[in-house]
Amino acid sequence: MDDGQQTVSWGRQLARQALLIAVSAVTLYPVLWVVKLAVSPQASMGGGFNPLPTGFTLAHFERVLTARDTLGNLLFPIQLANSLTVSIATTLVGIVLSTTAGYAFSRFDFPGKDAGMKAFLVTQMFPGVVMAVPLYILMDELGLLNSMAGLTLVYSTTSVPFSVWMLKGYFDTIPRDLEEAALVDGASQWTIFTRVILPLATPAIVVTGLFSFMTAWNEFILAATFLSGERHMTLPTVLYGYVDENSTDWAPFAAGAILVSLPVMALFFVLQRHLVGGLTAGGVKG
Amino acid sequence: MASVSLSGVHKRFGDTHVVRGVDLDIADGEFLVLVGSSGCGKSTLLRMLAGLEQPSSGSIAIGGRVVNDVAPRDRDIAMVFQSYALYPHMTVRENMGFGLKVRGAAAPEIDAAVADAARVLDIVHLLDRKPKEMSGGQRQRVAMGRALVRKPKVFLFDEPLSNLDASLRGQMRVELKRLHAKLGVTTVYVTHDQVEAMTLADRIALLDKGVVQQVGTPAELYDWPANRFTARFLGSPGMNFVEAELRDGRVFAPGVDVPVVAELLAEGTTDGPVWIGVRPHDLRLEVGGAAGAIEAEVDVLEPMGWETHAHLRVGDARWTARFDAADAASLTPRGRVRCSVAPRSARLFARDDERALYRAPGPT
Amino acid sequence: MRFGRPAAALLALFALAGTTGCGRVAEPDVVLWHAYRGAEAEALVEVVHAFEERHPEVVVEVVPVPYQAYANKLTSGVPRGNGPDVFLFAQERIGAWADAGILHALEPTQHRAVLEALPGGVVDACRYDGELWGLPVATKTTALFYRSDRLDELGAEPPETTDDLVALAARFTDASAGRFGLVYPVGDFYFHSGWFFGFGGTLSDADGTPRLDAPSNANSFAFVADLLNERRVVPRDCDYGVAKDLFARGDALFAVNGPWFLGELGDDVPFGVVPLPRISATNTPASPFVTVESVLVSSQAARSPEALAAATLLADFIAGPESSVIRAERGGQVVADRTAALSAREPAASAAFGAAAAAGTPMPNAPEMTAIWEPLNRALDQTLRGSRTAEAALVDADADLRRALAPPPPPTSPLPYEVAFGLVLVAAAGLAVRRSRRTALLARMRTSRLAYLYVAPAAIASGLLIFLPFIVGASLSLYAHEQGEFSFVGFANFLNILLARDFGLTHPQSFYFTLVVTVAWTAANVVLHVSIGLALALALRDSWVRLRGVYRVLLIVPWAVPNYITALIWKSMFNFSFGSINGVLRWLGATPVDWFSKWSTAFAANVATNTWLGFPFMMVVSLGALQSIPRDLEDAAEVDGASRWQRFRHITLPLLRPALVPAVVLGTVWTFNMFNIIYLVSGGGPDASTDILITEAYRWAFERGERYGYAAAYGVLIFGVLLIYTWATSGRRATELTDG
Repeated sequence: MDDGQQTVSWGRQLARQALLIAVSAVTLYPVLWVVKLAVSPQASMGGGFNPLPTGFTLAHFERVLTARDTLGNLLFPIQLANSLTVSIATTLVGIVLSTTAGYAFSRFDFPGKDAGMKAFLVTQMFPGVVMAVPLYILMDELGLLNSMAGLTLVYSTTSVPFSVWMLKGYFDTIPRDLEEAALVDGASQWTIFTRVILPLATPAIVVTGLFSFMTAWNEFILAATFLSGERHMTLPTVLYGYVDENSTDWAPFAAGAILVSLPVMALFFVLQRHLVGGLTAGGVKG
Repeated sequence: MASVSLSGVHKRFGDTHVVRGVDLDIADGEFLVLVGSSGCGKSTLLRMLAGLEQPSSGSIAIGGRVVNDVAPRDRDIAMVFQSYALYPHMTVRENMGFGLKVRGAAAPEIDAAVADAARVLDIVHLLDRKPKEMSGGQRQRVAMGRALVRKPKVFLFDEPLSNLDASLRGQMRVELKRLHAKLGVTTVYVTHDQVEAMTLADRIALLDKGVVQQVGTPAELYDWPANRFTARFLGSPGMNFVEAELRDGRVFAPGVDVPVVAELLAEGTTDGPVWIGVRPHDLRLEVGGAAGAIEAEVDVLEPMGWETHAHLRVGDARWTARFDAADAASLTPRGRVRCSVAPRSARLFARDDERALYRAPGPT
Repeated sequence: MRFGRPAAALLALFALAGTTGCGRVAEPDVVLWHAYRGAEAEALVEVVHAFEERHPEVVVEVVPVPYQAYANKLTSGVPRGNGPDVFLFAQERIGAWADAGILHALEPTQHRAVLEALPGGVVDACRYDGELWGLPVATKTTALFYRSDRLDELGAEPPETTDDLVALAARFTDASAGRFGLVYPVGDFYFHSGWFFGFGGTLSDADGTPRLDAPSNANSFAFVADLLNERRVVPRDCDYGVAKDLFARGDALFAVNGPWFLGELGDDVPFGVVPLPRISATNTPASPFVTVESVLVSSQAARSPEALAAATLLADFIAGPESSVIRAERGGQVVADRTAALSAREPAASAAFGAAAAAGTPMPNAPEMTAIWEPLNRALDQTLRGSRTAEAALVDADADLRRALAPPPPPTSPLPYEVAFGLVLVAAAGLAVRRSRRTALLARMRTSRLAYLYVAPAAIASGLLIFLPFIVGASLSLYAHEQGEFSFVGFANFLNILLARDFGLTHPQSFYFTLVVTVAWTAANVVLHVSIGLALALALRDSWVRLRGVYRVLLIVPWAVPNYITALIWKSMFNFSFGSINGVLRWLGATPVDWFSKWSTAFAANVATNTWLGFPFMMVVSLGALQSIPRDLEDAAEVDGASRWQRFRHITLPLLRPALVPAVVLGTVWTFNMFNIIYLVSGGGPDASTDILITEAYRWAFERGERYGYAAAYGVLIFGVLLIYTWATSGRRATELTDG
């Protein structure tokens, strides 16, 4: 067992800390700019070196949070609910679609398996420019335009290929013995899948789930095309609205970007244990 | 509890023919060990019994019911895997109860069964641990416990002790034997280890290249091997062989001259080329000048304290003999030595198909 | 059971979202779209309320649409009845939309009262092909903003002529103190247009055909190049953000900007607005582009006479005097209505913009004019960078425009293609049947029913939502689009692209040049993503590292922030004069780099941005993959005497490969089609040399005369290249991907 009690020379610790601090600084620099734009009363994208806010105001956040529609209803809570619905639904649908397919690709040998794996990869090669209009027409024909369900379907299908591949790779590392043991124990295929395989694949499911969630949470181009009306919009689409032909309303844009990022950051923080904790030691190794 | 019977079972994986026509009847309550070197098809045979593989042809019956098309869950068997295959995300209690749970047993029933099995295996204190929090021996017990809980008709073991260290393996062997004596459940046990086979089995089935070479009690196999493969496989150090000639009621080879025991000789045996085999402990050192049956040159001596293993050259063959330490004291490497062998303890095998030419004397 | 609770929660969420979406009381009679924000949007809502009071029988739904998505939503939505009945947009697209059948022509007699209150030139801007398509609502043009405090310090008045402007700007400029006389996005032809037309520039021949290389066109280019490179009163690499920032801080004396700038400047900024000064060289007024914000009726409104009547009524009202007063007073709009303009919120500024508009050049609304921007901006950029003379740059720009506007390939009969396609289908089917017989396919398929059951949901969803749209979209590559009409041209688009008929092989816009850039772009990014991601994952792996949980979260942050905004932040960081990267270089005593003036540095800037965006993903994947590697193996190698690098190279990396390969393959594909970064950071510059295939495809569809067929052919070729890539590498990978 290795837990955090391992000792190491302070010189090594220091070197590693220095490296990580340096990388974190470079990583956070542009993000600090977003924060600066969001909280400074009068910052702009005009560059400069200092990423620290030149003042402090919550007015921009207030503007994003208290936007109202023509009937005077607060929009933010509705749009947040829309975003959450789409993202959570996308994650769940994505997991259902990709764990089943990934499991089949990992465990069964069937005609078309190779072609199937490749076909999933191929879907990622289709340039969006070509597909946008036919997809719009299709969604309209299916009556899914301007609906959360339609957007969920599109998002989860876009994230499925990655998830299928990742999960297949992970399922491959789970010993077959476990399934056979369960088979002898009397479990059905479905029970094995849900009670044995899925719990064991938690780290991979968390990673792919996170990926699906992010895909849906940050997407705005399709959302802006498929959805109409402020009450149907998702949060990133609202951000998109702050960008104009000649100018961009940076302050609310940045404030909105932070509001959009916060839940994702929280999710990272909560899930980072799962990302790294893992069940791979011990029993699976055998 | 049930009998198990295999008839004409074949298994092919693509072009490789792994199991080639196995017929085997295992009696109700019997402890049968399938032994053989790796790749001989023993594990495949066991997996076919479990229902994890389908036989390419032939039939498998458990308790008189042909189970070829029966799913593992409906065969009423339990299996212990070499890797134990414990579910890493479940506690011991959940691991052991899983089989009952998926069959829809009620919670109190499961608890009682798990508690019973845990008591039998002395793992009550481990019930709330996860597999990774236990030692190899403890996991092994849990794996057995999981098999025990369901009170199946047949136990299947796939090299269950091979991941344990030597002393633990010895303990577990004894435990397994005690358990079988207590429960009397039909057991099929796969191992490559002849010691496990000899000590545990009611009967041993020895496999090679997908074919059963011999089935019988450990003593039968040891004393009256049906062919040279069986003779070589069992016993440590193994049986000594040299190419010889059967002529006029004697067996000759360079340095070898042993009389044939006619009453043991299979009917229809004719003079000609044979193998003669002698187990190391059947070689007697002739200290005096009496004419011995076998003349050899000493190569290396390994004193063990109570006895000495002498590595000898008999003609072109290398033999091993186990001598009394006292008797062997006078031997020196490169020296010549004379041994005698009781004619009844020598074994003869045909040179062409290696079948045994001596048959066990019938009960008289 | 396991999925029971989440499923229920999901249903509840859907129900919630459903009900929140259904707050509307009645089905609206008229749907009104706009892309306004802030005060303008509030004013429009007020206008609609006023309309509804006047016409209670008409229910109006006001739908704000993000500007960036506006045009696409309109062209996809209106033909299918999902668009607006009435919408507000600049008049420049009228030609294209009228051709595409998006618009409903107006009957001038029905709007006589409204039209009479409007200046004639403004109304003419809404005419196309002899019809009136919209009613002018407001004008947008550029004027000169000045800092009144700074001007007072110089004891000067707002400039009347460009000579005055240049002299004042030169007096104010002190580059070492970061003060500049004039700021505006100098490389953007829209902001440049005032000089261009003032210097006698023209965009078309006498007969109206677009032409960019008229001799007089070079004058204004040279004028600005002089301001930028000789007199240096304009900061280098000045973009909108830099200009706004400098002006707001008081570090710029003059700015060229539009009426929207009024709302962006804080109350504490003392400024004034005047029309752009007269051009001293020609003694004519500067004449910037004037866009006429118009209210338009879509063809969707013509679904019934009642709907059309209601839509026409609303359009008339929005352009009318009552509305104009509200929009001027509350929305601060520079309204087109002459009398209403007097009640503007900021009368002086409004008057200045009104005067500027009167002197301005109406933005052309012919569809072919949408293709002038890219070549003009490129020529302007080349001139300002000094890489070519204005004359030479404009000759090239004209050639580019001609290529974009070239007549489509001649239509051909689809019959031979259909026959060939049919034959290929039959042959493929025959082959498939033969192969399936040989391999007992059907029998094997029957025994794999369970596997298919597991794969089916994902396969059906992908087939329907990805493959089907792609096939439909890809089939467009066999057509040419012109003025709303598609004609079948066979493989002509492909031949033009692949035989480099439009551009020489080494021209930055040729397919092959772009392909090489795309491959280099992809390779550079993937290598950096994987190596940085993996290195950080390894650095964060050791349990003795303190705070590693914190670092893990911090380092994923780039992934969490929407990439649109961070890409723009990075662009500003690469700014020559004010970017923080050059700031660091100056601080270190190094020469600052003009990042977007050379291919190599512009490319590097793109790669740096995308690396920053992409490494967290690889880091997360690597962290996950590292877990599955037993530590003992590395310990064993360490005992065996392997160095740290050897352990990584021979133990860790090979074991990581199976988990990393899918991520790398997918990462390659994603990077290959990474549109946002190229489009937002370098914008393809300089000279379209950093464009990748996907941005080229986009430009052909939306910036170069709506050549949808050509763009689709690009899309198909992108797909083909990626397919070849995976096919070529799959031999090596086959075992890793498909076996365990």
